[in-house]
Amino acid sequence: MTQTVQLFTTCIIDTLYPETGEAVVRILRRAGVRVELPPGQTCCGQPAFNAGMRLQAMPIAMHTIKVFEKTQGPVVCPSGSCTGMIRHGYLELFANDPNWLPRAQSLAERTYELTELLVNYLGVTDLGARYPGKLTYHSSCHLLRDLGVDRQPRALLANVREAEFVELPYSQECCGFGGVFSVEHPEISTAMLQRKIDNIEASGAPLVVSCDAGCLTNINGGLHHLGKPQRVVHIAEILAQS
Amino acid sequence: MTTHLKKKIRTALANPTLQAALDGNAERRLKARLQALSEYSTEEHQSIRQRAHEVRAEVITNLEGYLEEFSTNARKNGFVVHKASDRPEAIQIIRDLVKEHKAKVIAKSKTMVGEEIHLNHALEADGLKVVETDLGEYIVQLRGEIPSHIITPAVHLTRQDVGQTFAEKLGIPYTDDIPTLTAVARRVLRQVFFEADIGISGVNLGVAENGALCIVTNEGNGRMCTTLPKVHIALMGMERLVPTMDDLALMLGLLPRSATGQKLSVYTSLINGPRGKEEIDGSEERHLILLDNGRLALRSTPLEEALYCIRCGACLNVCPIFREIGGHSYVGVQGQNTPYSGPIGSAISPGLFGVAEFGQLARASSLCGACKEACPIDIDLPKLLLRIRAGEGKRATKATSGSHVPRAMQFGLRMFAWMATSPGRFSAAQRMAGVFSRLIPPYSDWMSLPAFTGWGYRRDLPKPAAKPFHSSFTQIGLRDSASDHATSTEGQPRDQVSTDPPVSSPVSEGGPEKRKTFLVERFIDELTTLGGKVVECGPEELPEKVFNFLNSENIWAIQTWEESQLPEGLLLSLKERNIQIQNILNPSIQAGLTGALAGIASSGSVVLTSGVGRPLTVSLLPEFHIVVLQKEKIYSKLAEVLCLPQVRQATTSVVITGPSRTADIEMALTIGVHGPKEVCVFLI
Repeated sequence: MTQTVQLFTTCIIDTLYPETGEAVVRILRRAGVRVELPPGQTCCGQPAFNAGMRLQAMPIAMHTIKVFEKTQGPVVCPSGSCTGMIRHGYLELFANDPNWLPRAQSLAERTYELTELLVNYLGVTDLGARYPGKLTYHSSCHLLRDLGVDRQPRALLANVREAEFVELPYSQECCGFGGVFSVEHPEISTAMLQRKIDNIEASGAPLVVSCDAGCLTNINGGLHHLGKPQRVVHIAEILAQS
Repeated sequence: MTTHLKKKIRTALANPTLQAALDGNAERRLKARLQALSEYSTEEHQSIRQRAHEVRAEVITNLEGYLEEFSTNARKNGFVVHKASDRPEAIQIIRDLVKEHKAKVIAKSKTMVGEEIHLNHALEADGLKVVETDLGEYIVQLRGEIPSHIITPAVHLTRQDVGQTFAEKLGIPYTDDIPTLTAVARRVLRQVFFEADIGISGVNLGVAENGALCIVTNEGNGRMCTTLPKVHIALMGMERLVPTMDDLALMLGLLPRSATGQKLSVYTSLINGPRGKEEIDGSEERHLILLDNGRLALRSTPLEEALYCIRCGACLNVCPIFREIGGHSYVGVQGQNTPYSGPIGSAISPGLFGVAEFGQLARASSLCGACKEACPIDIDLPKLLLRIRAGEGKRATKATSGSHVPRAMQFGLRMFAWMATSPGRFSAAQRMAGVFSRLIPPYSDWMSLPAFTGWGYRRDLPKPAAKPFHSSFTQIGLRDSASDHATSTEGQPRDQVSTDPPVSSPVSEGGPEKRKTFLVERFIDELTTLGGKVVECGPEELPEKVFNFLNSENIWAIQTWEESQLPEGLLLSLKERNIQIQNILNPSIQAGLTGALAGIASSGSVVLTSGVGRPLTVSLLPEFHIVVLQKEKIYSKLAEVLCLPQVRQATTSVVITGPSRTADIEMALTIGVHGPKEVCVFLI
């Protein structure tokens, strides 16, 4: 029987990048799974949680838990940061709540970041993608350090035909996004972003691949503001190319 | 309103000299740390960190018990143990000791607790001469500043800054030559060490099972301050304990590697008590002040884990925010400073000094997690920062509803929460954003927002889609057939972690002879890498080889350990060759000759213990330190040496790893600060 996965699109992709959402669905189908989009989903609640407003984060998290409790099978999320929020943030948020903690735990256990699901859960590293051009990869902080996911996206990219992969200097350094941090401390945030942009230029690649729409929005926002030609794309969009 | 924090941040970002200094610090420290940790496999490293985490967790959970055990043992060893519940109490204890000893000059080696209680300020106000003797601390003291980094106090300064400061304050001709500046500090501070009535030091770790204090320094000033003045006062945060010597070895395997990328700091001192009977050096009276200042209260709060910290500074070095703003930017709401900056400072400052005052620091973080990854104790710093943001911790107000959240953000997030808990409202808001963002300017996919929004500060925003993804999901299938191109290797979940093969040590293979040769080779390799010298010789050649060395350096008088503590006949032969031998403390002598209890192959260290006929100053004051070490006394690791009964019994032991050094000016390695600039080991 075909495996079914539940897609948690995330609010950023849903609102800003519907084409990335489509690419995610395409590659999951190509990996041989049925994709369902549980209705009513909104946001994981991370913005309020990171701001320290846990009273506001809680109802959003509860809403998300309820949406996915109605479904079965693995939940896939095309963002390291939102996956980290569900996997670790929810446990912190509901640590003292005996009713919600087990519900949060069971969602945490079945939630996977996109490349993690593909490589670890489905055992797929080659999606038959083709991209003729130079690529580099930005390791998003939460994906890399909160989830420990790094070899998975790299393995998937390594199998993209005709792509020339180059290493991004200091790939693991934060781009300066940090959610609410980016608007609360824009001076520091954009100074960090400038370092990321300098490294992108040094890599010589016109296209940077990322697994997080947050980083992507931040870096592209900086690149566009400066009139730079480079762009960052979500990994799903590269893997969906054929 | 522009806060003090914002002002500091802007000033720091606009200072190109500071930016260059911070970049230099980050790049060098990162590289050195990774290099030093590269000898561990990933699994080994993680398991060591986990053990260290458990040790510190155990200490903090049962702190009262360990404090009791530690204090009792320290008293037994001859320490006078004081407990200070806060800053005024700690200051008063020191003032009383100053009065009792009619002290006028105080030599200080690095102590963060001293910074925490503003000790210099208080003592200077009493008319005392208080001199910081760590080169970096000395520089910032001369400039009237506070340290900008836990372990590299003058990291914000260039050599030119230091040159100007020295010219102004010490009256020397201007120079920006780092070795010259270091030599000047050596000369000036040498006087201070001899003049000082009291030496004040910090403590890296205390060992509960035997009451020993461990102090690690690179320059040698820590040894000076705890050896030369008659009275030594050690200042210690009361949480800085480990249960056993084995635990200490575990921590020492992590601390210097994480801090400076060294396998061991140059001097790892273990102080068990005051000078023994008939010993000719070492402080005669030792006091230990255990400072609380909010530590006990921090336990059993959501910020407890911040107390696990061993102050290595690794989180500062890897932090991208610290790299942009430097240590002096970390201020409270009134603009007040904290000695603790960087990620750990953003957690411990609110923890110790109040969330209301310092909670804003926890918000100046992108939560990238580089700090947690670098922390040798695996402290979950992002989690702590998030808890502070949520208003948890000391003197927090409006618990769990957020602390220091800017008003506009509060409003925005409340609105967002209202929408995100209702799919209908959320969808409507998405569509409205899609429509309105297309009105101005209609032909671009991008919007430029004004700077005050935060996002618009040097950044554009992509426009929301006209139709959000969820409304077109059902149509995706129509445009794309769900064909399966994928090469699926397995259908089932797989193990995530690939394990590296276990690393086999050459030591474990072959017989004891082979092992000995390996240890000797490793020892030589490590010590020479650090700039030390090694001469291998038979016992009968020893006098001649030592003489040749002295001759080549044109040295005719040496201070030595007593004859009974050295290989038989060595001193006699040297005397016959017209070398003058002295056993008394003489600051003008150029070279010191000692034996050694042991050597450590993995770090190229020699281990010396104090005792009758073995004054440790011989290994500290002269420019040259000559050590005679027997090959069979070379051990593999520090942990083995710390188990030796001699180390446990001596009033003071020191593990010496290469010549005295500093990197306090522009991170440039300079040899021979306060201790010997040359260490020559004769292996027999």
